[in-house]
Amino acid sequence: MKIPTDPVTLATPFFILTVIGEIVLARYGKLKAHYETKDTATSLTMGLFSTLSGLPFAGVSFAGAMWLYHHRLFTIPMTAAWAWVLVFFAEDLTYYLFHRLSHERRIWWAAHVNHHSSQHYNLSTALRQTWTGGLAGAWALWLPLSFLGFPPSMVLIEKGVSLVYQYWIHTEAIRRLPKWFEAVFNTPSHHRVHHARNPRYLDRNYAGILIIWDRMFGTFQLELDEEAPRYGLVHNLGAFNPLRVAFHEWVGIGADLIRSPRHALGWIFGPPGWSPDGARDTSASLKAAWAARQVQAPSPDKREAA
Amino acid sequence: MHLADLIQLAVSAAAVAAMVGLAAWATRGRGAPPLDEAQARRWLADEFPGARIEGLWIGADGLGALARSGETALVLSRIGDGYVARRIAWDAAASAQFRDGRLSLPLADFGAPRAELRLQAWPPGDLAA
Repeated sequence: MKIPTDPVTLATPFFILTVIGEIVLARYGKLKAHYETKDTATSLTMGLFSTLSGLPFAGVSFAGAMWLYHHRLFTIPMTAAWAWVLVFFAEDLTYYLFHRLSHERRIWWAAHVNHHSSQHYNLSTALRQTWTGGLAGAWALWLPLSFLGFPPSMVLIEKGVSLVYQYWIHTEAIRRLPKWFEAVFNTPSHHRVHHARNPRYLDRNYAGILIIWDRMFGTFQLELDEEAPRYGLVHNLGAFNPLRVAFHEWVGIGADLIRSPRHALGWIFGPPGWSPDGARDTSASLKAAWAARQVQAPSPDKREAA
Repeated sequence: MHLADLIQLAVSAAAVAAMVGLAAWATRGRGAPPLDEAQARRWLADEFPGARIEGLWIGADGLGALARSGETALVLSRIGDGYVARRIAWDAAASAQFRDGRLSLPLADFGAPRAELRLQAWPPGDLAA
């Protein structure tokens, strides 16, 4: 679905130039970035085809948004500056909700997991986008904005702005930004935490542009100097094949449903790793086990203070 | 799909190829070192904290490792310069197919179906039981 000013399309040359810049500067030791050829190929291939795979559902979601806009509660003018301020906050809060659901409920995790499947964290990782987001239906979360009265084109543009913003924070090259910026905005440091698989960092920092939502809703975690992020999944993938990356969790859901259909609701809407007997790892169980280990074996600085 | 969209897709595909080529050039000669015992033990400690390692076998090509912890086999397998870790039953590891110096471990996971280890012999006489 084309919109008058698609920020992602406009930013594509910037994406390409900055990935090239990060690779070359890292090669000559001018900044911190780790690239691996097959990993990069997978990320970029996923990015290339993600726009195509989204097309079938883009029409449905836009039609739904248009219908709701036709029955809107208010009329919000696209030409007013205050309306853009309002849609910025409304869209960013919607993104927080979407992103949290995408990590905490398996059906949406199945669509989002590919973005976290790289064991690297560089600008190409940002482009490792979903092929099944439309199928998972999370786009419905943005529909209330059109019902409120934001023109669907306005919502789409703001979604694009958010996506472009989130591109540059996928880097290890920027360590910390000024305190005031880190306090308000999502930054490379905050998002490194989000991509980490260390139990302490799991399911944290869901923000799109503003980190304030995580601070408000109790999901914020600072990146700690003493614990470097380890990137990837709790159970990393053993393949670079984009098809396996895109569909492995869907296949897992299908296999679980066949194995035990009476637990369908849990398999589909439970947290990733949920199982009827609790034998698998969830973020909550991993965090609890980690916390228990901290109590049994406190860190050296705590031992010295005791 | 319009002609303009096709052109945009083709140009993007060419850019992807160029960036992958650049990454290959930039990382040439900088591959991950072969897995050794110290690295394997560090990864096992990260992945399976608290697991007691009773035996550890490192693949001759440094691309994987297998550890025994009670009735569990802890598997590490290289993927690019990262790795995959899985826990399977020791019995499944002990009875896994071993042919031409390759141990093929079934991981029963669509995301990582198998792990291969180059070993001189399998199963080990003293720990296989």
